[in-house]
Amino acid sequence: MELSDANLQTLTEYLKKTLDPDPAIRRPAEKFLESVEGSQNYPLLLLTLLEKSQENVIKVCASVTFKNYIKRNWRIVEDEPNKICESDRIAIKANIVPLMLSSPEQIQKQLSDAISIIGREDFPQKWPDLLTEMVNRFQSGDFHVINGVLRTAHSLFKRYRHEFKSNELWTEIKLVLDAFALPLTNLFKATIELCSTHANDASALKVLFSSLILIAKLFYSLNFQDLPEFFEDNMETWMTNFHSLLTLDNKLLQTDDEEEAGLLELLKSQICDNAALYAQKYDEEFQPYLPRFVTAIWNLLVTTGQEVKYDLLVSNAIQFLASVCERPHYKHLFEDQNTLTSICEKVIVPNMEFRAADEEAFEDNSEEYIRRDLEGSDIDTRRRAACDLVRGLCKFFEGPVTGIFSGYVNSMLQEYAKNPSVNWKHKDAAIYLVTSLASKAQTQKHGITQANELVNLTEFFVNHIQPDLKSASVNEFPVLKADGIKYIMIFRNQVPKEQLLVSIPLLINHLQAESIVVHTYAAHALERLFTMRGTNNTTLITAAEMAPFVEVLLTNLFKALTLPGSSENEYIMKAIMRSFSLLQESIIPYIPSVITQLTQKLLAVSKNPSKPHFNHYMFESICLSIRITCKANPDAVGSFEEALFMVFTEILQNDVQEFIPYVFQVMSLLLEMHKNEIPSSYMALFPHLLQPVLWERTGNIPPLVRLLQAYLERGANTIASAAADKIPGLLGVFQKLIASKANDHQGFYLLNSIIEHMPPESVDQYRKQIFILLFQRLQNSKTTKFIKSFLVFINLYCIKYGALALQEIFDSIQPKMFGMVLEKIIIPEIQKVSGQVEKKICAVGITKILTECPPMMDTEYTKLWIPLLQALIGLFELPEDDTIPDEEHFIDIEDTPGYQTAFSQLAFAGKKEHDPVGQMVNNPRIHLAQSLHKLSTACPGRVPSMLSTSLNAEALQYLQGYLQAASVTLL
Amino acid sequence: MPVEIKHSERMRKFKNKGKDAAALRRQRVEVNIELRKAKKDEQILKRRSISFRLMDESLSPGEERRNEIIQLSLEEIVEAVNGSNMELQLQATQATRRMLSRQKDPPINQIIELGIIPRLVEFLTHADNAPLQFEAAWALTNIASGTSDHTKAVVEGGAIPAFISLLSSPHMHISEQSVWALGNIAGDGPLYRDALINCNVIPPLLALVSPVTPVGFLRNITWTLSNLCRNKNPYPPLDAVKKMLPVLICLMEHEDKDIISDSCWAVSYLTDGSNDRIQIVVDTGILPRLVQLMASPELIIMTPALRAIGNVVTGTDEQTQAAIDAGVLAVLPCLLRHAKPTIQKEAAWTLSNIAAGPCQQIQQLITCGLLPPLVELLDKGDFKAQKEAVWAVANFTTGGTVEQVVELVQSGVLKPLLNLLLAKDSKTILVILDTISNLFLAAEKLGETERLCLLVEELDGLEKIEALQTHDNNMVYRAALNIIEKYFSGEENPDLQPGTGQDGLYDFSVEKQDFNF
Repeated sequence: MELSDANLQTLTEYLKKTLDPDPAIRRPAEKFLESVEGSQNYPLLLLTLLEKSQENVIKVCASVTFKNYIKRNWRIVEDEPNKICESDRIAIKANIVPLMLSSPEQIQKQLSDAISIIGREDFPQKWPDLLTEMVNRFQSGDFHVINGVLRTAHSLFKRYRHEFKSNELWTEIKLVLDAFALPLTNLFKATIELCSTHANDASALKVLFSSLILIAKLFYSLNFQDLPEFFEDNMETWMTNFHSLLTLDNKLLQTDDEEEAGLLELLKSQICDNAALYAQKYDEEFQPYLPRFVTAIWNLLVTTGQEVKYDLLVSNAIQFLASVCERPHYKHLFEDQNTLTSICEKVIVPNMEFRAADEEAFEDNSEEYIRRDLEGSDIDTRRRAACDLVRGLCKFFEGPVTGIFSGYVNSMLQEYAKNPSVNWKHKDAAIYLVTSLASKAQTQKHGITQANELVNLTEFFVNHIQPDLKSASVNEFPVLKADGIKYIMIFRNQVPKEQLLVSIPLLINHLQAESIVVHTYAAHALERLFTMRGTNNTTLITAAEMAPFVEVLLTNLFKALTLPGSSENEYIMKAIMRSFSLLQESIIPYIPSVITQLTQKLLAVSKNPSKPHFNHYMFESICLSIRITCKANPDAVGSFEEALFMVFTEILQNDVQEFIPYVFQVMSLLLEMHKNEIPSSYMALFPHLLQPVLWERTGNIPPLVRLLQAYLERGANTIASAAADKIPGLLGVFQKLIASKANDHQGFYLLNSIIEHMPPESVDQYRKQIFILLFQRLQNSKTTKFIKSFLVFINLYCIKYGALALQEIFDSIQPKMFGMVLEKIIIPEIQKVSGQVEKKICAVGITKILTECPPMMDTEYTKLWIPLLQALIGLFELPEDDTIPDEEHFIDIEDTPGYQTAFSQLAFAGKKEHDPVGQMVNNPRIHLAQSLHKLSTACPGRVPSMLSTSLNAEALQYLQGYLQAASVTLL
Repeated sequence: MPVEIKHSERMRKFKNKGKDAAALRRQRVEVNIELRKAKKDEQILKRRSISFRLMDESLSPGEERRNEIIQLSLEEIVEAVNGSNMELQLQATQATRRMLSRQKDPPINQIIELGIIPRLVEFLTHADNAPLQFEAAWALTNIASGTSDHTKAVVEGGAIPAFISLLSSPHMHISEQSVWALGNIAGDGPLYRDALINCNVIPPLLALVSPVTPVGFLRNITWTLSNLCRNKNPYPPLDAVKKMLPVLICLMEHEDKDIISDSCWAVSYLTDGSNDRIQIVVDTGILPRLVQLMASPELIIMTPALRAIGNVVTGTDEQTQAAIDAGVLAVLPCLLRHAKPTIQKEAAWTLSNIAAGPCQQIQQLITCGLLPPLVELLDKGDFKAQKEAVWAVANFTTGGTVEQVVELVQSGVLKPLLNLLLAKDSKTILVILDTISNLFLAAEKLGETERLCLLVEELDGLEKIEALQTHDNNMVYRAALNIIEKYFSGEENPDLQPGTGQDGLYDFSVEKQDFNF
């Protein structure tokens, strides 16, 4: 493409078409531009247009197109053709900086982005004059130009803030410092001077302050990796000026906007960051300046208003103080009683106040409010910063700070008492202050885990929290109600049990509050109280203690779900689940009504599932209803099936993906409740469960495997007789799972169930195939997890079909295969098997190989007999894994191992661990001894001679122990 | 590069092959470029003789008192130096020396431009005129103390052989001045250092060391020796090192602190290299003395001694064990708590390399009570030191046994470690995240994953890790994501994937192949 007027004209027309709302016009134009962008001069045509076009819209469009073109094409990827010809590259680099600087802001931004994309590739080696070109513009005196340069520099240098130290990076930084640091410093000084000469010119000040912000940001980037020599030498200049800017105020720069931070706030905020950077990383050099900054920053805090626009500045500033006051060598800056008092009074207390914005959120955006207040997503808020400062100060000054605040708390409470309806915010602040003062460590699961011993939490609770909650009207002073409930919640481990018991009816009562925050907190508090542990791993609050409240609790919880804004409130649903789990059989009388309400809810939300946690707890609650009821009355399973299957069918038919894994789990639970052969309603579904589309979704895999296992346990014979043609499909699922490193263990679960439950003749023809598959996986991509599962499987097979059958099938696949597996897999890897049942299966299987497999005694495999026995003894003598106690009541979704968003395992649908060798073998060590004894009677003399010649002494000693315990001797 | 080291660490973890301690140990120099000011507590490379020293006065008695300082212009100096009047030569040389000795802005360039260096070098050979020899030597010393170009001018003027022969001058002060000049030349870099060594500077220099050598002189000799040991790329020749080492070790037993300091610096240079160089030093049996000196109250002794031992423990497990046997672990707690940040940092660096060793060495580290000071440093130390302490913890968790890691956690490492996730340094953050992963691996083995989770949350670690998921650095954000999500290798085995049969279900089939595990 030549740089001709004709081409410019064509390009203009196509660019114009790319803005057309009609895709029929727009798309071909975009296609055309893409097709010509590889031609020489194309980028130069764009640059020409964005500079010279008559129409502003074309200029802007050309600049955006140019930037995107650079973004797509500038990088030279190895082994791929260079997409921009060299002469264009040179021309672009030669022209872009002046062009950017002379363009109006809208275009300048695009070109500045383009420069930084090019810079990322070419700077510094392939663009050596970029820096000088930029620096030279500092002298222009035109702040439009200067800001363009600064902005570009910022986008070039800001990566220094996150990249790892490397020779390449530091060489670049050094180069930048050599060329840039001094001019930047001079510009900084000059700009500050201009600020005072133009102190009365609002529009000039705005431009100058934009420059200062960019300069301060550049300072941060250039000083991030290490303290450069230049900046150390010029620390006085920079820090003195930063310091005075922090204290500067100018009416002309104040904005009316309450929300958006103005230039002054942005600048001061960046300066706080700069000071924090130096304080953290270059303490030794920065020490002389630090006290000044501490003073300036707290003065800044004292004089800054409550408006939202100051939030970032204030929280940055407070965080700075919080980080400094924890450092031992700055302790002295804070320890004076007056200083402490003034920080508490003027910095902490004001920033803990409940502001209009908070009130608004409490009422209109309660979800966000709860998230911030309860779940700690409040990192940038003022309250949080103030809290951190309290904690920081308490590190050295816990006593004095507690003393000062106690005074404040008392006076705020008195204010409140004078006129509660006007002064309720004082009480809110008092509660917040007590909370932040008292809490030293906290988790979601346990609330406060470490408290300040100087604060009497129970006394405060009895005197100031309970009275609010006892008040007749649950809707009065909702913020204080929420505060009070939160107090119970977070200090539940500090407040004595009798006080908690007194609180429970109060909390149940507040489930009826209209305020979303209040009834949500009440539900959440109950749920947390119900998960507290008492002695002996039971719940602190017992079902018996709850007996008087069962009805009202359940009623209020379900009623709360009908309050406006709470129809899918996860806290309430979780409280329902936890209540069921705590109350157990005392909920049975209410089940008919409960299950109706839950199925209605399920039906409603399945139309558009949007609250994953809510849904999860709803299914947990359904599972609990089933378990609790069927435990007392197994026949009730039918009525649950009746209530649920219709909704389930709808969910499966409509393919509600979020719910399908849950449905499978509930169905597994129901199926396992059946004592007899599988009902036909389940069998009708069987072929559908083998559909590949279901298995492609990872979230379906664990619950579907579990469901198929339930089918095999209850219906193996039915499958063999009535659905034999589906067996290949079933094994196909196994094959699918085994191919994946992530899901292979699920494949083994399925395979183990098939081997255990299916009649042998029904799977006979497939057995060899199964092993070939497993060997293939073993050969191609062996992982520890796979090996562990594999070992358990072959031993289970051995138990079921006999050791000889195992040896024969291996050797039929490939001669000497059995020996290879013993030598390369079983003997070296058996110690990796974990889990009591798994170990037991392996022990019994190996015992069979040792004692019931003739080729082990009279072929070349005999040499493996002793090593295998030794490996088995090793397996026995490994420290046993402690089984996990039955603590399912306490399980949270987050804690369930293997939980992923896609899977959603239901804790209360869980099944008991299954031990396929349970009845057969009680003590595998004794079993080994007895089996060896049997073997030795069959071939007298051989076993003792093998043992005495090759078994190592320690193993032999263990073995003798087993023999003694079994009261047998080897012949 | 450190990033690669970390990567291979990960690989080792995945492959369960155990770690390779050599890769965990970090040599001093990770990056050759420095942004910072040259370190203030490094040993001085070149020195200028500034003030009038006692020796000078004794040489020209009464000069000061008579206040007869003769002021000469540069032109006059050139003329006199090039002339043949010995009195004027002396005066001019002295004037030159005096200019070069003044406190502020010595006119080194101007003097070089006069072109009188060859002449001054020539004066060095005037054995019959000791005062002239001395003044010339002094002047040249101060020229050589400047930049590389300045030193170069002196060397190119032919000063090396002249100074070396002056080492054997019957006049002690001339010999001493030559030692000084040679020190400046050696300090310029490996090139001139080796030029000196090739001109056989070492034997006459070592010959000057005797029980009767005055302390001041001995200081100069030690300093010059240390410069002959200094610098890498290349290292000083091995046979030269072997000649100097026995003398340096004697000097280390001297009672003068400057002599001890400079001999320690020399040893620190000799140990700042490959393991075979470290071995030469270890073989001399000097480690116990170095460890003793690490505990010296004198900063100028403690610093290089610590540096030398720090270098030794970058070596093999056996070399590290030698340092441990010499008692380094007993001294480190004090140094970790030292008021000076650079000492904290060096001590933590040393510790981090010991923690990179086998678990027996880690056990010794625990037994000697290093965990409490390490945790303190992590909590309250200077940032430079905190960074090194993070490495120490990281190495500990990579190589330690589960029991050792438990002990580490019980000593309270978690809180300060998690706090440092706020550090303004991507590398440190990444190392901490890797460390946290290591802790989780240990917790899994103990079935304590849940407890560790709670602990991390309680200490405000969770919210920090969560926040790091939006970090700009790719590796940092991925590491944070991994901890939140745990590692997950979901790759499939395409050959084993079943096809779909006519019934729409999976086909169960496989081709047999030959197996060999």
